Amino acid sequence: MIAINNSYKQRIKSLQSLIALVLLCLVLTVLTDKFFTADNGLNVLRQTAVNICIATGMTLVVLTAGIDLSVGSILALCGAVAAGLLKNGIAIPAVDTYIGFTVLGVVLAAMIVGALLGWFNGLVITRFNVPPFVATLAMLTIARGFTMLYTKGQPISNLGPQFAFIGAGSFLGVPVPVWIAAVVVLIAVCITRQTRLGRYIYAIGGNETAARFSGIRISNIKMIVYALAGAMAAIGGIIVTSRLDSAQPNAGTSYELDAIAAVVIGGTSLSGGRGSIWGTVMGAIIIGVLNNGLVLLNVSPFWQQVVKGCVILLAVIIDKANAKQD
Amino acid sequence: MVLLGYNAVYIRKLSDVVNSRPGKFDAKSYVQKLWAGRLQEKLDSAIDVNTLKESLQTDPADGFGKYTHALAIGNYRYAMVKGIAMVDVVKEDEVLVTIQSAQPFKAVVLTEFVYGNTLRDASGLIDLQAFPNTGDLNGVSGELNKKVRQEVIPALKSMLKPGNKIEFTGAVELNKAHLRFDDIEIVPVRIKRIS
Repeated sequence: MIAINNSYKQRIKSLQSLIALVLLCLVLTVLTDKFFTADNGLNVLRQTAVNICIATGMTLVVLTAGIDLSVGSILALCGAVAAGLLKNGIAIPAVDTYIGFTVLGVVLAAMIVGALLGWFNGLVITRFNVPPFVATLAMLTIARGFTMLYTKGQPISNLGPQFAFIGAGSFLGVPVPVWIAAVVVLIAVCITRQTRLGRYIYAIGGNETAARFSGIRISNIKMIVYALAGAMAAIGGIIVTSRLDSAQPNAGTSYELDAIAAVVIGGTSLSGGRGSIWGTVMGAIIIGVLNNGLVLLNVSPFWQQVVKGCVILLAVIIDKANAKQD
Repeated sequence: MVLLGYNAVYIRKLSDVVNSRPGKFDAKSYVQKLWAGRLQEKLDSAIDVNTLKESLQTDPADGFGKYTHALAIGNYRYAMVKGIAMVDVVKEDEVLVTIQSAQPFKAVVLTEFVYGNTLRDASGLIDLQAFPNTGDLNGVSGELNKKVRQEVIPALKSMLKPGNKIEFTGAVELNKAHLRFDDIEIVPVRIKRIS
C-alpha cells in the first residue's frame, strides 16, 4: 500500500508542471473568452518559442549544477552578427574580395559564434575554477559590449523577406519559430535520454566527485554543455532578429531570468542532477500563458512582474520540499 | 559540410559590390529638398485645427484615418494643422496661445525644445520602406527639427508678442487613446502675423 502511494506521489510530482499549466489555462478560460482560441494559442507559442530555445540550453547547464547568465547577451550578439553578415558580408579590400552570406550562412555563423562564446564560458569555469555565476556574469557584460561595438549602438534593419520568414512565417499553419523550438527541444531530449553525454550531464549534476571518480571528463562535458547553451541562445537570437526584422543592440536583456524561471518552474533542481527538458518546456509555456493571460485580463505590467516573481518563488519552494522528501 | 558551406556563402569582387550599392544617406540634403518642395505643398494643404478637432470628436476612426499619419504602430498619430490664434504669454521655451474657434482652446507653440518625430511623421511624406535603417530615418527628423530651431523660430520670435493675432501652420501629436486638444503642443513651421 505504501509502495503504491509512493509511486502515485512520484507520478503526480513528475506531472506537476503539466497539472499547473492545465489549471492555469482553465482559470484563464473562465476569466476571459479571448484566451482559449486557436489564434491566441499560436500567439502564445510564437512568443514562447525564443524562451523555449534559451531555456532548453539553460536546462542542460542547470542539470550540471551550473548557471548561465550570459544567454541574453549572447542572443543579442548572435542576432547582430547574423544581421550584420547578411547585410554587409565580409569585405577584404586587400584582395578586392567580398564574402556574402546567405540566410543559411548567417544562421550557421550565428550558431558558431554562440557555441564559441558558450564554450569560452565552459573553459573559464573548468580551467580557472571560476564559479559559473561569476564567469557567465562576466560574459553577459562582454557579449553586450561586443554587441554595442559591432552595431555601433544602432539597430541593423531591413534584412529581407527570406530572413523574415524565420521569425514571422508559418509552415502547415504553425509559426516557424514554434517548429524551430520543437526541433531544439527534440535534439535536447535525445541528448539527455539517448546519449552518453546526457547520462554524464545528470551524473555530474548529481554528484560531481562520484562522476569524476567514475572516469567522466568533467571539463569536456561542461564545455560542451555551455557551448550547446550558447548555440541555443544564438537560435533564439536569430528568431528575435528575424521577428523584428532588425538586430537591436539591447535585445535579450533579462531573457536569462525568464529562461531560469522556466527551468525552475519546470521542476529542474538548481542543485543539478534532477529535471527534464519537457519540464522546462512546460515551465516556459506556463510563463508565456501567464504573461498572455495577465495582458488579456488588463493587469498592469507592474503587477505582472509581481505575479511572475511569486510563481517562481512558489516553484522553488515546491522544488525544495520535493528534494527534502526524496 | 562542403554542401553546407557552398550554400552558406558566396564570393564576389569587392569593387563590383561597392559600385552596385547606393551611397551613404545624406539627411541634410534630403531634408533641404523635402523642405523646399513637397513639404511646402503639405503645409499649403494642412487641415484647419478646428475641423480636425471636430472630426476626431465626431468620428475618431474616420478623422484619424483621413487627417493623421504615423510611421510606427501605437496610439500616437501626427497631423499637419493650421489655424488662427491669439498670443497670450511668451515664455523662454514656448509661447502660450488661444486658438480661435467657436469654443476657443489653449495651445502651446514650441520655440526651444523641438525634438522627436512629430514634424517628420505629420508630413506624411516619409515611406518607411525607402529607408534601409532607422538611423537614416531618425536623421531626417533631426534635420527637420534643426531647420525649425535654426530657421523658423528665430524668424517668428518677433511676431510672437502678447496680444498679437497670428496665423500658424505646424505639426501636432495626438494620442488616440487619450484625445485632448487643450494645451496641445505645436511644432511651428509657418507663422504669419495678422494683427
